[in-house]
Amino acid sequence: MNIFRILKNDSWIKPFLHKYRKSLILALILGFITFFCAGALMFNSGYLISRSASLPENILLVYVPIVLTRAFGISRPVFKYLERLTSHNWVLKMTSELRLKLYQVLEKDAVFFKNDYQTGDILGLLSEDIDHIQNLYLRTVFPTIIAWLLYIFIVIGLGYFSLWFALVMLLLFAVVIFVLPLWSVVINGARQEQQKQMRNQLYTELTDNVLGISDWIFSQRNLQYTEKHVQHEKKLRKVTQEIRNFNHTRNFIAQLIFCMIAVALLLWTSRYFPGNHGGQANWIAAFVLVIFPLIDAFAPLSDSAQETNIYKDSLLRFNQLQNKQQVKVETLQNQAKLDTPYTIEIKHLDFRYTDGDKLIIEDLNLKIAGGEKLAILGRSGSGKSTLANLIRGDRRPTRGTVELNQQETALLGDDISNYIGVIHQTPYLFNTSIRNNLSIGDESASEQRLWDVLERVGLKQLVAALPEQLDTLVDEAGLRFSGGERHRLALARILLKDVPIIILDEPTVSLDPVTEQELIETFIKELHGKTLIWITHHLQGLSLMDRVVFLEDGRLQMSGDPQKLAETSAHYRKLLAIDHGI
Amino acid sequence: MIDKSILKFPNIKKILTLLVGITFLQACAIVGQACFLAGAIVGLWEGQQLNKQLFKILLFAVCFCVRQAITFFRERVLDHYAAEQAGELRQQLLTKIFHVGPEVVQQNGTGNVTTMVLEGIDQVENYLHLILSKIISLMIIPWVILLAILFFDWKAAAFLLAIFPVIIIFMIVLGYAAQAKADRQYKTYQLLSNHFVDSLRGIDTLKFFGLSKRYGKSIFRTSERFRVATLNTLKIAILSTFALDFFTTLSIAVVAVLLGLRLINGQMLLYPALTILILSPEYFLPIRDFSGDYHATLNGKNSLSAIEQILEIKETVTTQQQLPDWNAQSRLQITGLTFRYAEEQPQIKMTLNAEGYQKIGIIGLSGSGKSTLINLLSGFLSPTAGRIRVNGVELTSFSQHDWQQQVIYIPQNPYIFKATLRANIAFYQPEATIEQVREAIKVVGLTQLVSELSNGIDTVIGEGSRTLSGGQAQRIALARAFLDKKRKILLFDEPTAHLDIETEVELKEKMLPLMENHLVFFATHRLHWMKEMDQIIVMDAGKTIEQGTLKELKQQDGSFVHLSSLVGRL
Repeated sequence: MNIFRILKNDSWIKPFLHKYRKSLILALILGFITFFCAGALMFNSGYLISRSASLPENILLVYVPIVLTRAFGISRPVFKYLERLTSHNWVLKMTSELRLKLYQVLEKDAVFFKNDYQTGDILGLLSEDIDHIQNLYLRTVFPTIIAWLLYIFIVIGLGYFSLWFALVMLLLFAVVIFVLPLWSVVINGARQEQQKQMRNQLYTELTDNVLGISDWIFSQRNLQYTEKHVQHEKKLRKVTQEIRNFNHTRNFIAQLIFCMIAVALLLWTSRYFPGNHGGQANWIAAFVLVIFPLIDAFAPLSDSAQETNIYKDSLLRFNQLQNKQQVKVETLQNQAKLDTPYTIEIKHLDFRYTDGDKLIIEDLNLKIAGGEKLAILGRSGSGKSTLANLIRGDRRPTRGTVELNQQETALLGDDISNYIGVIHQTPYLFNTSIRNNLSIGDESASEQRLWDVLERVGLKQLVAALPEQLDTLVDEAGLRFSGGERHRLALARILLKDVPIIILDEPTVSLDPVTEQELIETFIKELHGKTLIWITHHLQGLSLMDRVVFLEDGRLQMSGDPQKLAETSAHYRKLLAIDHGI
Repeated sequence: MIDKSILKFPNIKKILTLLVGITFLQACAIVGQACFLAGAIVGLWEGQQLNKQLFKILLFAVCFCVRQAITFFRERVLDHYAAEQAGELRQQLLTKIFHVGPEVVQQNGTGNVTTMVLEGIDQVENYLHLILSKIISLMIIPWVILLAILFFDWKAAAFLLAIFPVIIIFMIVLGYAAQAKADRQYKTYQLLSNHFVDSLRGIDTLKFFGLSKRYGKSIFRTSERFRVATLNTLKIAILSTFALDFFTTLSIAVVAVLLGLRLINGQMLLYPALTILILSPEYFLPIRDFSGDYHATLNGKNSLSAIEQILEIKETVTTQQQLPDWNAQSRLQITGLTFRYAEEQPQIKMTLNAEGYQKIGIIGLSGSGKSTLINLLSGFLSPTAGRIRVNGVELTSFSQHDWQQQVIYIPQNPYIFKATLRANIAFYQPEATIEQVREAIKVVGLTQLVSELSNGIDTVIGEGSRTLSGGQAQRIALARAFLDKKRKILLFDEPTAHLDIETEVELKEKMLPLMENHLVFFATHRLHWMKEMDQIIVMDAGKTIEQGTLKELKQQDGSFVHLSSLVGRL
């Protein structure tokens, strides 16, 4: 079985099982006691009324069963309540650990993670996987182990009275506990796999077509699509129905087994506890009635076992993540602190993603002096952003070197963040207060300093007008702020961090020209004195830069200050002419 | 207790009648099962031979099996019924979405719409299934059992009847208390639970600030705080289940003790007492089942009302008019076209004339209303007022079949379906021949791309497969327009806004010939396009502030010149 193979090689779940084993065992024991009490209540009640019916001369003779009946009646719900709290507590503890672990694994590759997984919201998916693993425990692992414990208890308990009858029960219960669940996993496993694939396909198809909905409407072919979708849906429905039919049949069989167990108990007790109006026969009702509350513990096992097919993918995804990450190279620690002036020097730089790919950057030489304002211009796909990653040291050169004051940037590790800051096309705002978003730049910044930078980036009035000012939450993914405002917040963060070199990676391309121009002017003014590496694909604002280099197919094509380029380069003049327009 | 919207489903009466019938039968089987089991046990207790009990045991087994067989049958019937209704609902929803179009998608978000069609409907199916079976069981089984108990002993029956409302009241009271507590904590709760995925999404930003390693501690701390908060809520939330459990098991214990005491006093016989004892848990079973699935039904209920909301959207019923095909002599007159998204947003109010194969440029800054105008012209939005005349035919909106089938709409990011390049290009003309597709590819300059694709024009492109650059996507949109020679009206909504300047120049060379012999509306903030336009409309805050040819506008030295100086401030 697949899930076992995955669990065997698992490095995500097993360590925590060990770490929190005490509360794990507690949760399991509580679960066991819950069912024990439920069974004991019926056992006791059965004995109590049988014993009472044999008219004991003194009520004290049934005093113990009376007390026990009440005690079990109360303790079952209490233990169930405790069991649910303990198991949830345990699962949530494990969740915290899992989250930390997932975060640490992803952190190593943080900058490229989004690029590596182009499709879908892999991050959302991974965080949902953690929820799936919670359910794996709460809905499959715990109930199954508790049922096993009960099983062992029942068989040993009956063995005390009669060995051969214990053996009969061992076999009958084994059908419900092992045979039916295994059968479900095997038979429905394939169907579930098919169902999952069909569902995923429907999901991607539907998303695809909802995104392209206007084309469907204009082409007036919309009925064609809905029909197609309904057809696919029907196929999925067929598989789902097969699964359900199987489940219904299997549940029916399980109930038949329970019926057989009840009858077998009746037959056995009639032999083992003979009596006339009481005596030994008082035990008959006790033993027979105990089976009914226990059905609740055993009946859901097959469904739980089947659910593991759903969790399999989550486990697999985690473990693969780990394998992929292990390839990464470690960086050097404890670098000496670098000092002004900060010079970046790129020598004979080649870069390709993997062996055999074409070169993204080819024999590039570039020296950026401290305080220089450099624009790197090129069309999309020319390797501009890759160059930025290489400068920050997030990628390692295939050949050649990128050095900051004679230190290879790729070896600086996290220290690089003290020298180089980045502003992206879509700056990420965390779903927390403005204050917290700014403090990422400098955690110890005073209130006054926060307001100062907000003023410098032109957001002071806006923030001051908000109901809770700095403590206002930016909406999820920062939707409350317009594109330009988001960039200004990102700039404020960078200003707080106060690094000597700033990379602007196409920060303004999605804005309208007037907003863009204003933003560029703010950038240039506020970042004055720092080294500015500005990556862009159009010409707006270039005249404010000291030097412009053109990147085409990974090579440097032109280089010079904007005025001189306008005089000497025909290509640049042509682009300028187009951009000016009229 | 049954939601009104459920009673609206077709054939529901038939199903309900059937369910009531078989559930009643099942209740009888449950009573029979208890009686025969008790009978057999009592027989043995009295010291009778086992042989004499075999018939009772057999009857017990038969009742047991009948009961389970009814469950089996009921599940099958409900599976079928719920699936049928879900399928019906899904088709209605899809048809609606693909009719009303982008507006629904925009309001609800693409993700929500797809989730609604797939998972939402599944939840409704589940809801329908659960609510029908559980509610009917709850309405029949306990009362049949109670009647049987009454037959044996009225005191026990009275006790069980009295405890029932107590359980319900406690569950409701505790349920409300838990809800109130959960509501109070909702904000923190939400924040904590989103914190993790938020941190993952912003992980590169953290890295850039050198905080990413230390941040792991914060993740763990927050997660632990989340755990404590969850447990605190849970302590209250599961109290209502606890109350249910507590009262039911305690009632069974109380019944057992009461029966025992009366047996000792000789007021009762073992057979009725044992039957009552066996029936007591069965009496509570339906309410426990019902409360166990309560949350699943809640989700289903919410999905159902969300779906109904979409189904109830009124399609602006514009009377469909016959419109002649657009040609060189056609005329379009728009007077006082009015639209507003919401109160706080500026109102669009436009007057506009176009004729023949004119090219009309629409410029303005973000928020000036360019896109809204294009959406009105495409018929995705319907104006609140205004007169539209197409070749003398009066319209109230452009949401006209005959108009839309003449329009090609090219947005900033044309959508590329996950399909072959050929299917994408031939989207508007699925029956186009391979030669026609190849010609279109050549005309828009996609030959280079085709040669790079492993399967040529039969390579699957789009999300999840080979993704295309913005320029390539625009070329595919142009190829679609080129293939469909019948459509004479082109609407462009900032088609080049996000492209690099060199790509834009290359694309422009391909676009201009395509615009010949078409009525073109071209919204952009790239001014160089204006040289190619016959008429230019400058928009600001939803209104035309200047209109004319490029030459006229330059001479006027007004808003247009001002705008170009703003933009061209290099």
